[in-house]
Amino acid sequence: MAGRSILRRGAAVAAAALCLAAGEPADSPVNVPEPAELYAGPPHGYTPPTLKGAQVVDAAAVAAMLDGPDKPVLIDVAARERKPSNFPEGRLWLPVHPSIPEAVWLPNAGAVPLPPEREALFYDRVAALTGGNRAKPIVVFCHVECWGSWNAGKRLVEKGYTAVHWFPLGVEGWQDVHETRNLSEDAAWKAAAP
Amino acid sequence: MRPTLALALGLTLSAAALSGPFAPAVHAAGASDTEQERAARWQEIAKSIFGDRTIEPTDSLVKLEAPKRAEDAALVPITLTMPEKDKIKAVSLIIDDNPAPYAANFEFGPAADTSELKLRVRVNNYTDMHAVVETTDGKLYEAKQFVKASGGCSAPMGMSEEEALKGMGDMRMKFADAQPGKPVEATLMIRHPNFSGMQMNQVTRDYTPARYIDKLTVSAGDRKVFTMTGDISIASNPVINFGLKPDGKPIQVAAGDNQGGAWTHSFTAPSPTN
Repeated sequence: MAGRSILRRGAAVAAAALCLAAGEPADSPVNVPEPAELYAGPPHGYTPPTLKGAQVVDAAAVAAMLDGPDKPVLIDVAARERKPSNFPEGRLWLPVHPSIPEAVWLPNAGAVPLPPEREALFYDRVAALTGGNRAKPIVVFCHVECWGSWNAGKRLVEKGYTAVHWFPLGVEGWQDVHETRNLSEDAAWKAAAP
Repeated sequence: MRPTLALALGLTLSAAALSGPFAPAVHAAGASDTEQERAARWQEIAKSIFGDRTIEPTDSLVKLEAPKRAEDAALVPITLTMPEKDKIKAVSLIIDDNPAPYAANFEFGPAADTSELKLRVRVNNYTDMHAVVETTDGKLYEAKQFVKASGGCSAPMGMSEEEALKGMGDMRMKFADAQPGKPVEATLMIRHPNFSGMQMNQVTRDYTPARYIDKLTVSAGDRKVFTMTGDISIASNPVINFGLKPDGKPIQVAAGDNQGGAWTHSFTAPSPTN
């Protein structure tokens, strides 16, 4: 897939990796080194071009996987829209979450830190969705420039999933070429929400 | 779409172009589903705002123009054209897929010239937008436009809160060249962050509370031009273009926000240049 651009970014990343302290937000999309651990910095910001142990995919690759014989489990970890605490009562508030139509929405599952019971539920949900098959292809995503999906992918790689795909352009990258569907939050995830 | 996203998408698209055509269009085929979903949502919103009143489509009473693909989702320019000005009593702007869809309502007064009204809004998702006019005989008419932009409601302002609040309530007004007996085009600029309440401070991880202009009245002397009811979907530092019929008396602006901020300014009315 991303031949030329990844090469260009790769060189810049190598050069910049030395001078960027871990956990600091990056100031440019071309010099974001991959953290060794889960990323606990600001959730919105430039993300690295890689996720060790996972494959980075674009919208065309996701579409090709969906058309292939072994359909991936799509996991959307985008945060819910947050209703302003002082939003006037009685005023219309109708948040929607457009996403890839086949996806399962586990809002904020890429947060760091994640309460232990939420983390456990995340693993439970993924185990259920993959039928316990750690080699099942999984695509994790949220929004463009959102660390949540990187973290969620990292968690799954560390849990031993072997076919994790990270789709960094997320909903924005998908809707640019494909139709979306408004998703409801995964029922089990919502029922156990704090 | 914000510039960074444009860059990111550009990288991907060029990469895809190197490796072959896009995947088969099956995932784009759900257009009818999506259309139905959008239509159903609009019904729900319209009912919530206008109750059971009938809204008829129009392509003459109001036209809604917006960029098909916005450069900056937090600053999307909208133009409402309402040429049959004597018939227009009010106009509402609804951004269907924003979490707070009801973006603005303008009630016009005797000093208004409704032929063109412009403002800048936040767009959170690819969405239909609706302009609904109420005519002087009490009927409702709608126009629709689809806009591609996302993330506008939660996009941080790119400066500290303190900086964003500096000079809050300052106003400027510009007038296009005035001609005797003709309406004048005015541009009102208000310094105000119009915080949506959905913007996160990336360092503290706190959300900046919503603080937005919810009432704005413009008058020419004692004749009203319009009263705007605003919402979190209006972009920071609001800029509104509108038409007015000056009569030589000062143009008065009164703005108020949801946290009790109130500001008034008086501007010298434009005088004909010849």
